[in-house]
Amino acid sequence: MSGTPVQHWNLGIGPISCHAWNKDRTQVAVSASSNEIHIFEWKNGDWINVHTLDEHDLPVTGLDWAPNTNRIVSCSQDKNAFVWTFDRGHWKPELVLVRFQRAATCVKWSPLENKFAVGSGSKLVSICYYEKENDWWVSKQIKKPIRSTVNCIDWHPNNVLLAVGACDFKTRVFSAWIKEVDDKPSPNPWGSKMPFSQLMGEYNASGWVHQVAFSPSGCRLAYVSHDSSISLVDANQDNTVSHTLRTTHLPFTSVRWLTENSIVAAGHEYSPILFTVQGNGLKEVCVLDVPSANKTASVNSALQMFKNIDKNAASEKIDVQLKTLHQNRITQIMPHSGQPNNILKFTTCGTDGLIALWDLKNNSAMVR
Amino acid sequence: MSATLQPYLEAVRATLQAALCLEQFSSQVVERHNKPEVEVQTSRELLMTPVVVARNKQEKVLIEPSVNSVRVSIAIKQSDEIEKILCHKFTRFMCQRADNFFVLRRKPIPGYDISFLITAHHTESMYKHKLVDFLLHFMQEIDKEISEMKLSLNARARVSAEEFLKRFN
Amino acid sequence: MILLEQNNRIISELLELKFNNAKEGGKPDSVNSNFADFDGVLYHISNPGGDKTKLLLSISLKFYKDLQEHGADALIRREYGPYMTSPEPGYNVSLLFDLNSLPQDTGALIHKASMLKRNCFASVFEKYFEFQEAGEEGQKRAVINYREDETMYIEAKADRVTVIFSTIFKDQDDVIIGKVFLQEFREGRKASQTAPSVLYSLGEPPLELKGLPGARIGDNVGYITFVLFPRHTNKKTRDNTIDLIHSFRDYLHYHIKCSKAYLHSRMRAKTTDFLKVLNRAKPEVKGEKKTFSGRTFQTS
Repeated sequence: MSGTPVQHWNLGIGPISCHAWNKDRTQVAVSASSNEIHIFEWKNGDWINVHTLDEHDLPVTGLDWAPNTNRIVSCSQDKNAFVWTFDRGHWKPELVLVRFQRAATCVKWSPLENKFAVGSGSKLVSICYYEKENDWWVSKQIKKPIRSTVNCIDWHPNNVLLAVGACDFKTRVFSAWIKEVDDKPSPNPWGSKMPFSQLMGEYNASGWVHQVAFSPSGCRLAYVSHDSSISLVDANQDNTVSHTLRTTHLPFTSVRWLTENSIVAAGHEYSPILFTVQGNGLKEVCVLDVPSANKTASVNSALQMFKNIDKNAASEKIDVQLKTLHQNRITQIMPHSGQPNNILKFTTCGTDGLIALWDLKNNSAMVR
Repeated sequence: MSATLQPYLEAVRATLQAALCLEQFSSQVVERHNKPEVEVQTSRELLMTPVVVARNKQEKVLIEPSVNSVRVSIAIKQSDEIEKILCHKFTRFMCQRADNFFVLRRKPIPGYDISFLITAHHTESMYKHKLVDFLLHFMQEIDKEISEMKLSLNARARVSAEEFLKRFN
Repeated sequence: MILLEQNNRIISELLELKFNNAKEGGKPDSVNSNFADFDGVLYHISNPGGDKTKLLLSISLKFYKDLQEHGADALIRREYGPYMTSPEPGYNVSLLFDLNSLPQDTGALIHKASMLKRNCFASVFEKYFEFQEAGEEGQKRAVINYREDETMYIEAKADRVTVIFSTIFKDQDDVIIGKVFLQEFREGRKASQTAPSVLYSLGEPPLELKGLPGARIGDNVGYITFVLFPRHTNKKTRDNTIDLIHSFRDYLHYHIKCSKAYLHSRMRAKTTDFLKVLNRAKPEVKGEKKTFSGRTFQTS
């Protein structure tokens, strides 16, 4: 990305584990590795903390904001998930019966926003939906054959299929069809029979699977794992094989489709990297973060100097900053502007406490 | 700096950089717990293969990564009795201050002189690249410090013996 | 301070104060102080029977009876003759000073008084130095248990006097540090041709003492042998030799302790240094601090 610097904000709440945008991108919900969820609103050129939701009692691990129904779902290490609804100026929590014995790790609304999935350290995924009779969020669980903590989930656009990545070095595609809320699904490249918890596909990785993502059409699946690789399954060609691209970077922990043919991945490398589908597999295109010439304004005050000597045993200013924008692991990539099959801007959040907004207009040629 | 030191340190640096890709991870065995998996060792799939980077028989580093924590154990060069006690005293001295050192483990792993335990909490609250710098700085400095302490001990012994014996006439 | 003082500073300072006060005609005040010296020696200075014009200096050595066998009493009498008095109960030797009849040169007296411990020790050395000078061989070896578990052996030959110290190192680390020092003592002769030759052995006694019932064997025991030649034992140099040799054990342990203290302070400094390097990994927290008066300033 040349020219325009990447917009970024330090929300000052410490390491950000996850974030979620509202529909018009004027508000963002973030969790700062604590039990609180902060909702920031863009006001007068700055992010103002307008709500703090603190129903959880252990660090929050997942957040998702349903754009149309304007509901937030959150999950946490305390084994619980809450659905938050905005009512007369307040966010009201509703406990969900996820029935976990261990921590919840990730959560995501289905595309139609009538159900959501929660992954867990109990080695299962709960598909939760609203039961009108009881006024209650209830769940059905997908257990087999997951053999370790579920790290990540992603919904197929048809609102039925669910991709699950876990610490047992496997990515799987399940059916999450709930007869109470869903219409009968139509056949697609992943299969035709889709009873609940049916295993539609299983793919190997050589490390913990950190993130899975369906392409905008739902025909392709990408996942990143701890062996620094990124893999692609193209159901249109063969829904039983995955093509893996090993990279020389540090492991990715987040991946997202920008168009039907291009993917952005980020993680321990501190910079988002662009990939495109080429032939059967993937190809690395470029690193999106271009080191800025001299970002650190040198503070040459005497105070700074003595502080350095005192605290760090360094006589001159030591350069602790890395050349990249993010100074620590990028934890999540979220779309910001554009259509699902043509994302123009996306945001990243990281354990360095930053949220960055990446504009792809300079890279549009490469993204195609 | 001898010819083997640089490659040794580079190997340790590269290994640490890869090993320190940590994230928060709640225990899948005990509910509501979040413990370093490398210490509890309850789930095999969450541990990675330990790596030993060795410069020679005595000087080596054991790096044991896991999903949310890394244990780094260092064996420090000890060529004679004096270096042995100096090293022992020094590491014990540091371990007693483990609270201040955050990443220092109170007890070294058997066979090593000092161990560090770095968890996802640490990599979240500190710059990872500077943590790696610290560990390498430690490895270099501890050798230097021990040999300097040994030299000054010998010098002191010599001066005090000579002064005493000079007084006889 | 590389070398230890031979005299006892507390004695000399205290006596100087009292004597000067008496000379200037000041009113004598009451004194009662207990203090200690190396090798478990205890002193007591007091006014006998509450008489403020008199000062009683007493010394207690646990091993005085060992020294008495070698003529300590005679030597003390020779050195302190007129000041000697019957020992205070619980002490071995007592000296009495009358503030009203002090000699002209109090400096010499003070010095002599402060050397009380050294003079107690001296007898045994002088005796064996005499043996050597007279060429008397075959005298029984003197054994002085100068500390609990630690012993000094003195033996005279026609051409030399050997002094052997046994000493205990408190822990394994001390043994190793001690060894470094003893090595240097052995090598020390190279630096000074006039020095006696020094030998050492760790763990078990040297040949001369093999099989002796009192000679300890153990990992933390060290034996140091000084071989004193006639140049050290003749009448001219004798006093200097005694000064040095009787304090050897204290000197050795003093320097071992100093070295440990030095190493400790170095480690402390280095540890702080490491901490600071670790601090570099911590991002600086932006925060607003308030001064007492309520003004705020930004920390960067």
